[in-house]
Amino acid sequence: MSAFRSTCAGFNPLAKLSVLALAAAASTVWAAEPLIVGVQAPITGQYANEGQGIADAVKLLVKQQNAKGGLLGRQLEVKVCDDQGQAAPAAICARQLINDKAFAIIGSYTSGAALAALSLYARANVIQTSDGTSDELTAKGVKTFFRNAPPNSAEAVFTAQYFKDKGYKKVAIVTDHSSFATGLADAVAAEVKKAGGQVIEKAFIEAGSQNYTPVLTKLKGLNPDVVYFSGYYNDGGLIKAQMAQLGMDTPFVGGDANQNVAFAKIAGNAVTGATIINVPAPADLPYPAAKQFLAEYKAAYGHEPPSIFTLTNADGLRAIIATAEKVKSVDPGVLIPALHQLKDFQGLTGEFSWDDKGERIGSPFVAFNVNADGSYKIVYPQSAVK
Amino acid sequence: MDIFLQQTINGLTVGGIYALIALGYTMVYGVLRLINFAHGDLSVLGAYVGLVVLSSGAGGGTTLLVVLAFVAAVVVVGLAGAALEFTAYRPLRKADRLAAVVSALGASLLIENGIMLIWGPQLRVFPQGLLPSGAWEAAGTRIDLLQVLIIGGSALLMALLYLFVHHTRFGTAMRAAAIDQDAARLMGINVNRVITSVFVIGPALGAIGGLFIGLYYRQVYFTMGWTYGLNAFIAAILGGIGNIPGAMLGGVLLGLVNAYAAGFVSSSWQGAITFALLIAILLVRPTGLLGERVAEKV
Repeated sequence: MSAFRSTCAGFNPLAKLSVLALAAAASTVWAAEPLIVGVQAPITGQYANEGQGIADAVKLLVKQQNAKGGLLGRQLEVKVCDDQGQAAPAAICARQLINDKAFAIIGSYTSGAALAALSLYARANVIQTSDGTSDELTAKGVKTFFRNAPPNSAEAVFTAQYFKDKGYKKVAIVTDHSSFATGLADAVAAEVKKAGGQVIEKAFIEAGSQNYTPVLTKLKGLNPDVVYFSGYYNDGGLIKAQMAQLGMDTPFVGGDANQNVAFAKIAGNAVTGATIINVPAPADLPYPAAKQFLAEYKAAYGHEPPSIFTLTNADGLRAIIATAEKVKSVDPGVLIPALHQLKDFQGLTGEFSWDDKGERIGSPFVAFNVNADGSYKIVYPQSAVK
Repeated sequence: MDIFLQQTINGLTVGGIYALIALGYTMVYGVLRLINFAHGDLSVLGAYVGLVVLSSGAGGGTTLLVVLAFVAAVVVVGLAGAALEFTAYRPLRKADRLAAVVSALGASLLIENGIMLIWGPQLRVFPQGLLPSGAWEAAGTRIDLLQVLIIGGSALLMALLYLFVHHTRFGTAMRAAAIDQDAARLMGINVNRVITSVFVIGPALGAIGGLFIGLYYRQVYFTMGWTYGLNAFIAAILGGIGNIPGAMLGGVLLGLVNAYAAGFVSSSWQGAITFALLIAILLVRPTGLLGERVAEKV
């Protein structure tokens, strides 16, 4: 006891002074209130890993930004609200994050949850960026919404552009009868025509029926520049194998559902020359910034991000921060119009712009060749080729 | 013309497989007036058994391995067919016809789910390069070794079966049991043995068909029996169920019609054309193309 008192009594006035000075310095840093970045994402429930990935990515970006001195001299602070990927909790989250005075919201993962919160953020003039792919999100005409992932129609647009650049004019489309595959096939057909190409045949297969040589023999006779297949990998691999069996050396291009390790196994020796169009897995992103972010993410959390949507949401926040720094303001009256003017932003998931509807222009899609060992090599677009 | 030839080869290959599987439906129906709904699944079981042998790498040479796979598939599925008859159909032979149909459907589900439990629900891929590769091309028409093997193999098996049924004592007993079991029994024929042998031969041929599928398409999945079973069943009806040459004709015809429909009309109408043809043939000939002969001197 006496020892304690003696220590206290012996407290060095100089030390006392320096503590005061430190406190004063700290208070000047914290004088400006922190800027709140809201995360509305499914932290629990069916999509929990996706939601946690988004929250983790945002926290990491904010930490990095704060280490650089924050945004416009103010520290950033993350507030996370769990919407379970559902509409009702999403609306509660929206109100809560608006009350927390968040200036920008990242999320949600599902279109449904993003849509439920959309009009609340719009009324409060709070920026929202989400990966939701539903076309409805940008069709509402709100000024505060910015989509950071490609909408459903982007794959078809990208595919048509790829065909055009490769000089594939006569396109033969093969699809199964599922709503997913026919939807994609129809969209690709429409975009190919828009791009000046010609769909010389739209052929149907019965998914899983395995006997595709009759359809392919017909296509062989029509001599197309490319065979495009919008269905699933098990049929896609078989179509590629049966094309080789028939002696067809026409290029094969498959839609996103063809990406599966089994594709190469099924196609066997015939796999060489098969091309698949999809958004790349995070680990396959070719951009240096993406590689760096992935390394930092892995160092911070010990695992890879759950999906590409973790990175598109990160891109949403990165674009907002970069734009705010450019216009030197987080005032929605200044920042929102500036975001609609965003041009050729170098994202982790490729270059993109935002249009006046908040639609992401510039998709993260890539075309990759499947190697004999089942690995992939990105061949298009040029900006993504290593 | 070259496209027509190519489509004919396409159709004959898959038609040969349909015919092999259709034989099992028609033989069982001929003797028992029962549709063995588990037959398609037994054929797929043959493909899985063959896959086990092929992936094991036993036997040294690869061609020998393929032969071993066929032997294993035939033996295992033949035994499974006999076991199925003994457990699922024999106790119900005197029961209501509907009871046997329900039992057949149950057996189908049992085998299908059994395959899933043993080998998993995911697609299984056959190893490649087991048989010497080779292809012949003339006038834009291509045929490869495996197609020759499938077309030739199924034709040979069908010819052997025809000879067996029509030119051996046991085959005669089989035909007699098909016409009238009681009369056959009075003539000293062991009808139970005949029925068991039908349940061995039919599934064994189906297993060869199943293994052909595996080697040709190089992928199998546990619900595949339904797709192939349905096509083979249609082939059996088309040719005249209960009639062995009818099943062969039906299978080949179905394969060819499928190929020509997809190649020369429209691939989206492939299924519709096939079934329209089936309905048209059954309207004109309700017992199928070759029809089951109702009276025969044996």
